[in-house]
Order: sequence, then structure tokens, then C-alpha cells
Amino acid sequence: MAAKNTCLVCQIIDNSIPSKKIYEDEFVMAVLDVNGAVPGHCFIMPKKHYPIIEQVPDVEIGRLSLASNKISSAIFESLGAQGTNIFIANGIPAGQTVAHFTINVIPRRENDGVNLQWQPKQLNEEEISTIELKLKEQTKNIGHFEKEEKKPRAHAPKTMPLDEEEEEHFAAQMRRLP
Amino acid sequence: MAEQNLSPEQLKALQEKIKQMSPEELKEFQKKQCIFCQIVAGKIQSRKVYEDDKVVAILDINPANPGHVLLLTKEHYSIMPQLPDDEVAHIFMVAKSLSNSMLRGIEVQGTNIIVANGVAAGQRAQHFMVHVIPRKEKDGIEFVLPQNPMQQSEIESVGNKLVAALRGEKEQEMPSPPSKVPEPKKDEQKKGSSGINLDDISKMLGDR
Repeated sequence: MAAKNTCLVCQIIDNSIPSKKIYEDEFVMAVLDVNGAVPGHCFIMPKKHYPIIEQVPDVEIGRLSLASNKISSAIFESLGAQGTNIFIANGIPAGQTVAHFTINVIPRRENDGVNLQWQPKQLNEEEISTIELKLKEQTKNIGHFEKEEKKPRAHAPKTMPLDEEEEEHFAAQMRRLP
Repeated sequence: MAEQNLSPEQLKALQEKIKQMSPEELKEFQKKQCIFCQIVAGKIQSRKVYEDDKVVAILDINPANPGHVLLLTKEHYSIMPQLPDDEVAHIFMVAKSLSNSMLRGIEVQGTNIIVANGVAAGQRAQHFMVHVIPRKEKDGIEFVLPQNPMQQSEIESVGNKLVAALRGEKEQEMPSPPSKVPEPKKDEQKKGSSGINLDDISKMLGDR
């Protein structure tokens, strides 16, 4: 992947940029943000390069969120924080600065200079109803989460690999399935 | 809430009663007091945009931006560390899907997904929730995450504390094996050295 070589986060993951690692397994790495909002600010990232959340498979979202929750608990227990924020920015208008999906976990205290608050906006009845309908139209498709890794195709025996044409055909068949 | 109409004596009696409750009783009590549990149960009206067996997503009545969704667990939890692992994983998968729904359905160019655990983190309700906020350029939202470089000694000490605390947790819950550092004893793990009890954090919310 072209983006991978220049991606800062990928370079942290492959150790070409040094970091203070907090947690690592086969899929997930968490490091201390040494230039973070407050001491103890961590970021949790998938080892694979995915620019935005939409591209991160559900099973990886599960792993990343669990790691984030454990780190949040560890922050409470070991740093004596009064609170924690889990913060994700998708897209530049949301404040995303690196094209590698990242979850921030931030220890919080009163008056610590971090502000994730907002001023409520007033909408009229028609605006609210329109948005409700538009969102419902989209959320109809939510469900069927892939909570386990996709199994590699078990039925293609190793001794008889499918050639490209057959693979094409197989994929086309798969796409017809509901 | 109802407490505001109580006389000082009644309030004191109530506080005394709360102190003596078992964790189960306290949870049941919080649930009855919790407006979001009543929304989940359908006793208070809301605009639901998604629902399954574990979570409900509603439109925030005080939105940061049009389409701001509150994603609630059906079960009452005050803060995220109280959630079982399967619910944590599930609610974030739903949050991802809601973010996708916003990008496709309501012409926005980004989303923020935010959890606040504890009053100091900006939590206002006593029911755990995930905020999914649609974002556009120049929409007036300014989240402030300052950058403060850490000293090398601080990086080591803070990092090592977190690693030690995680190893304690990981032994019980994280699937992958920890590396060479010795494991803390189990009864030390729950409290941590300078740690704040998680129950206290969630109780603080209940008191508001």
C-alpha cells in the first residue's frame, strides 16, 4: 500500500518511529501520546492501515474498543484520573489529522485545559423530522456485524488452486447471494 | 429529579438509605431515577433512529449539530468500565455503522465519536452513552485538545504505571499473553496504588 510507507502511525507500529508502548497484540497497538493533551493521553490503533472508521472491519472495531476500555480503566486505577474521554475523529472537519484510524483515550481532571463540550443548536420541528427520516433510511441496513474473523475459503483445496478466471466466476457467484 | 421536592429530613434519610444499599440495590435505585432508562423503556418519548437487543440510538434534543445521536445501552451502566466486553464491542460496532449512516444519509463530511466517563470528562447524564456527532467544515464546534510535550522521565513513569495496570487486567480478560514483567497480585489490581475506586466515580454522577 502506497499510503502505508508514509503513514506516521504505520511507522510507529513497525518501530521505525520510537514510541512508549502501552499495549500490543497481533492486531492492536496502544502508545502514549508524548505530545498529548494531558500526561497519560493514549492512542489505540489497528496495526493494519485503515484511513477512516468506515474501512475498519467490525471485528477490529470490537478489539480496538475493548483495548480502549481496558486502557481507560487502567488510567482510572493507576493515574488517579477523575474521568476519561474516548475520542474518535473521522474526517478532516472532525479534527482527524493522520490518515490512520486512531482512538484517543484521555485522562481527565477538573480544569485540565481539555474541552470536548459543545453549544447546543436549535432546530425546528421540520428539520428534526427530516433528519430523523434520513437517518432511519440508512440505519435500516445496520446489523449482521462480523463478530468473528472471516474464514479463509475452506473449499478450495491447496493442491488445486483456482485460476484467475475461476476465481472471478466464484466471486461473481458469491455476490449474487443475498 | 424527585429529590428536589424533599424536606431536609427526608433528603437526609434518603441519603442514609442510599449509603446502606448493596451494589445491586443501588443499581436498581439508579435505574428508577434514570431518565435514559425511561427513554429506553419507551416511558419517555424520543426519536429513535436505531434499536437492537442491546442498544438504542436516539436523536439528542440538545444537539451539537443536526443529526447528533446518543447511543445508549439498554442496561443501566454509569460509566464505560462497568460494561461487559461483549457490550463494549457491540456498541462501538453500532457507533461505526451510525457514523457511516450519517456520511451517506445527511450530507456531512466527518463524524466524532465521544464517550465521557465521569463529571470531569464532561459527563452530564448518569447513564453511559456514546455520542456520534456529524461534522461539517466551520460548523462552530471547537474541541480543544492541547498539545503538551512530556518530559522523558514522565513518559517512562506514566507509561510504566499504565502497562502495570493493564497487565493486571489482561491476566483476567485480555486474550493475548502478557510479556516478561511480573504480574501484580490480584487484590492489588482492583484498587491500584493511587487509584480512584470506579464505584466512586459512578456514584458522583448519581449524586448530581
